[in-house]
Amino acid sequence: MSKTFIADWRFFLLTIAIVLGFGGILARLSYLHVIQADELSSIAEARRQRAEIRYARRGNILDSRGNILAATRPVIELGVDPVSIKPEDYEKIPRLARLLDLPEETISNAFSKTFRMNSNGEKRPVRWIRLKEAISDSQYDQIKALRIKGIYGNRSFERVYPGGLLASHVLGFINKENVAVTGVERFMDFYLRGQDGYLETEIDGLRRELAQYRSREIDARNGLNVRLTLDSVVQDIVETEVRRLVDEYHPDGISIIISRPQSGDILALANYPSFDPNKFWDFDVDSMRNRAVTDVYEPGSTFKIVPASAALNEGLVHPETQINCGVSSVQYNGRIVRLPADDHQLGSVSVSEVVSHSSNRGAAQLGMIVGDDAFYNYCRLFGFGEKSGYGPGGEVSGILQPVKNWDGLTISRMPMGHAIAVTPMQVHMAMSTIANGGVLMKPRIITQVEDSNGQVISDFEVDPRRRVVSQETANEVARMLSEVVSDGTARSAAIPGFSVAGKTGTAQKIINGHYSHREHVASFSGFFPADNPQVVITVVVDNAHRPNGGIAYGGTISAPAFRNIGQQLVQYYVMSPSAQAPSASTVAVR
Amino acid sequence: MPTGSNAHPVRIYDNYRRFLTQQDRYRTDWINPICILLLFITGDFFIYSAQYFIGANYWIKQIVFMAIGGTVYWGLSITDYKKLLEYGHFIYGLSLVLLLIVLSPLGEARDGAQRWIDLGIISLQPSEVAKISALIMVASILARSKVSTLGNSLRPLFWVTLTSFVPFFLIFLQPDLGSGLIFPPMVFALLYTSRLSIRFFLVVLGAFVLMLSLVAIDLTGYYEYYKERDLDFNRDKGAYEEHDLLPMHDYQRIRIMTFISPESIDPTGTGDSWNYRQSVQAVGTGGLTGKGWTKGDQAQLGYLPRSVAHNDFIFAVLAEEKGFLGGISVVGIYAIMIFNTLRTAGIARDRFGTLLATGIAVIFMIHVFINVGMTIGLTPITGLPLPFLSYGGSFLLSSCVFQGIVQSVHRHRREFV
Repeated sequence: MSKTFIADWRFFLLTIAIVLGFGGILARLSYLHVIQADELSSIAEARRQRAEIRYARRGNILDSRGNILAATRPVIELGVDPVSIKPEDYEKIPRLARLLDLPEETISNAFSKTFRMNSNGEKRPVRWIRLKEAISDSQYDQIKALRIKGIYGNRSFERVYPGGLLASHVLGFINKENVAVTGVERFMDFYLRGQDGYLETEIDGLRRELAQYRSREIDARNGLNVRLTLDSVVQDIVETEVRRLVDEYHPDGISIIISRPQSGDILALANYPSFDPNKFWDFDVDSMRNRAVTDVYEPGSTFKIVPASAALNEGLVHPETQINCGVSSVQYNGRIVRLPADDHQLGSVSVSEVVSHSSNRGAAQLGMIVGDDAFYNYCRLFGFGEKSGYGPGGEVSGILQPVKNWDGLTISRMPMGHAIAVTPMQVHMAMSTIANGGVLMKPRIITQVEDSNGQVISDFEVDPRRRVVSQETANEVARMLSEVVSDGTARSAAIPGFSVAGKTGTAQKIINGHYSHREHVASFSGFFPADNPQVVITVVVDNAHRPNGGIAYGGTISAPAFRNIGQQLVQYYVMSPSAQAPSASTVAVR
Repeated sequence: MPTGSNAHPVRIYDNYRRFLTQQDRYRTDWINPICILLLFITGDFFIYSAQYFIGANYWIKQIVFMAIGGTVYWGLSITDYKKLLEYGHFIYGLSLVLLLIVLSPLGEARDGAQRWIDLGIISLQPSEVAKISALIMVASILARSKVSTLGNSLRPLFWVTLTSFVPFFLIFLQPDLGSGLIFPPMVFALLYTSRLSIRFFLVVLGAFVLMLSLVAIDLTGYYEYYKERDLDFNRDKGAYEEHDLLPMHDYQRIRIMTFISPESIDPTGTGDSWNYRQSVQAVGTGGLTGKGWTKGDQAQLGYLPRSVAHNDFIFAVLAEEKGFLGGISVVGIYAIMIFNTLRTAGIARDRFGTLLATGIAVIFMIHVFINVGMTIGLTPITGLPLPFLSYGGSFLLSSCVFQGIVQSVHRHRREFV
């Protein structure tokens, strides 16, 4: 081989070097292609796949006239991927800050926070910092015009309650995790939330979607609308009245319920303290309770409709039967039972007058006439001790002890509304029973579920629960209750031109195990017109403070509230005055 | 002779050695042109495939370049390479002028580097011209001188160093580290072939190891510097350049770091190590037989960035779509071509021809090894393209010139009647 110009051994080394080079390539190629192929395929595949949720739009909540009480607004959540921020993007911070109305410092901090420490003390890249929770499309367009690659938005929906505080306890709210927490929002969540859709697709190297590789595409089904029995106008009237009561008496709590007696439809329901579901985070949890169904109190005299109805319905007394209210104790089942005291000594009066003058002794004796077991039964029939069936959550049954737990005094106390715990809703529905000719209705808050075209998907029927007393008894009690307003303890509830039926209640609150002489629950429950009831209104005010320091009677606190509301309803519903109704100045004496 | 003994390594090498010095009766070598044609056709198909999704027409341009290149190849192969001894100085001077022009405002800057001269229809890359001229120049110096021990060879060594260092330095200024990388191995290969004392190469090896350790120290300092100050490797580029040990740019450091430890420099895999990761994934997902032409999703969907898929990363496209078999076929063709070039070196008429052919074999070897190596994660990512496969006019032309010289050396190995 000496003919060549390269020495043999040099040539050998050169050959070895080249063979080694090709050998290295061959080995690496075999390793990648044969051994690592599956692993690399799965990595590449995973990077290409993208699953995207298409959020369903939550349905609206409407009042009975179609006004929107809760709606959903599409918004864009804007954030920054600090890793993708380039040095030249920092110059755009002032303009971005102006557009977003944020301090420049907040943005530059977000821009430079490219990593965080995880629990193991390792650096992890930060790929998303939220800058603004909700911006509009036009704002988003302006921000995109700045051409900052690391800034982008995600579409989402925001729940808005246009009425603010209006009917907040009925509506409830959606928390930050998009979970319906209370009220109709939670009760009807199944219908409202709809069904999120999703999209499985692939993306290219620049993270753009490749539409031709969409493998699965499920459209979101938007939530259905829920129509309530509420009337925004009536609700507003009630809430205005609540504010007046708060301003005047600084009570601990208020519940007002208005409904139609024949259907049980709730026209308005308001409580104090209240909250704004648009910014629920600013409010105390205490203010979110729907006190009308969650809180119990001793009803006091409003409860006297139960012994009166029971005694009449059993045929044990007539309206004119005389009850001796002058005695301080009576014999009952072979025992001497002390009677509670009356505010005014009444002597012997008719059953009608026991009701209209709210005699404690009279009510106790009516209870005894009916007897323990029968009286307990009537309490149950009127709906006490069980849930009224108001749907949207939190309702309690109250406390009604069975007869075997009664002591010797119970039969003398329960008929006047002591030794029993009730919710405002229970009292309201009991009063509705009288207004409805003796039939107890289930309160109805939702009329129907409809789709976005107004097509009804599901109806919520009127639901009569049971007959409690006969039509005649109910009419008779209604007449007696109208005397309460015309001639009795609730003259301040009278509405000129209309016969109003109702009953006041003033219960001492139990403070530290004793009945308090300073703290009372003042209530009034009634309906009008008495002969053809259109609305039932219940007003419960907890621990009102009268400016003069006097006792907060139902007649002085709650009855006027009833009248204020009633007068506005007369205007709103254009009710015609009752034919034989007494005017405010004339008093019908029987 | 039983076939079993043919497989003995020594016998294989002997047979191979005999092949390399075989004087066949044909004047023209047909092995290399066939290899070139196969590589070019393959390359053009995959340039088409790399741009299939966006429908660009570089594959047509490449055919035009190849037509020009083929003409140049033919012209050079029928010209006696000895003419290069006469005109080598002029070509060398011209290449230096071009290198100076590209650094002047006449040069065209792309992606922060001045590497092109815009000639209207095509852009010329003077570094390609410089490679050719430096090879001719160094080969002619060594062919004229007597090189033996280090002490006896100082004069030619000085000239070789000077003639190769000037273009190397000018290319370094562009900066084009990739093209510059070709120079040292080429020069050492020529010195090695010229029987320079082996001691010289031991010294060079020592210097190389020293250089590597300096780079390692520099990179360690760079890494520590960024970690200590909580700087971001990508965002705060240039922060270390004032404190560095070696005059390197931070983007070069990042490239080397990306090769050594992609996880630390780019943990998310979306920054500097993107190309490396996607390329390795493209090759690996090809499997044994590949996903099919124009069916490779890494390349088609732009995971392998479209700006490099048709040139520097053409091998990844091929390996993804034609798999292991496609990949080793192409590498095999290169192997045949390089060994056949070495054969030409072996049967050359004179030392000049041997040096030219050896230098060209080494240049091709470096290109193939570095380029294929970077697409499969074997070498750091540099801008060295793959001969006859990658898209690029200047480089295709220079490859044709090199192979044309090889053919000329082959055709003029002896007097043909």
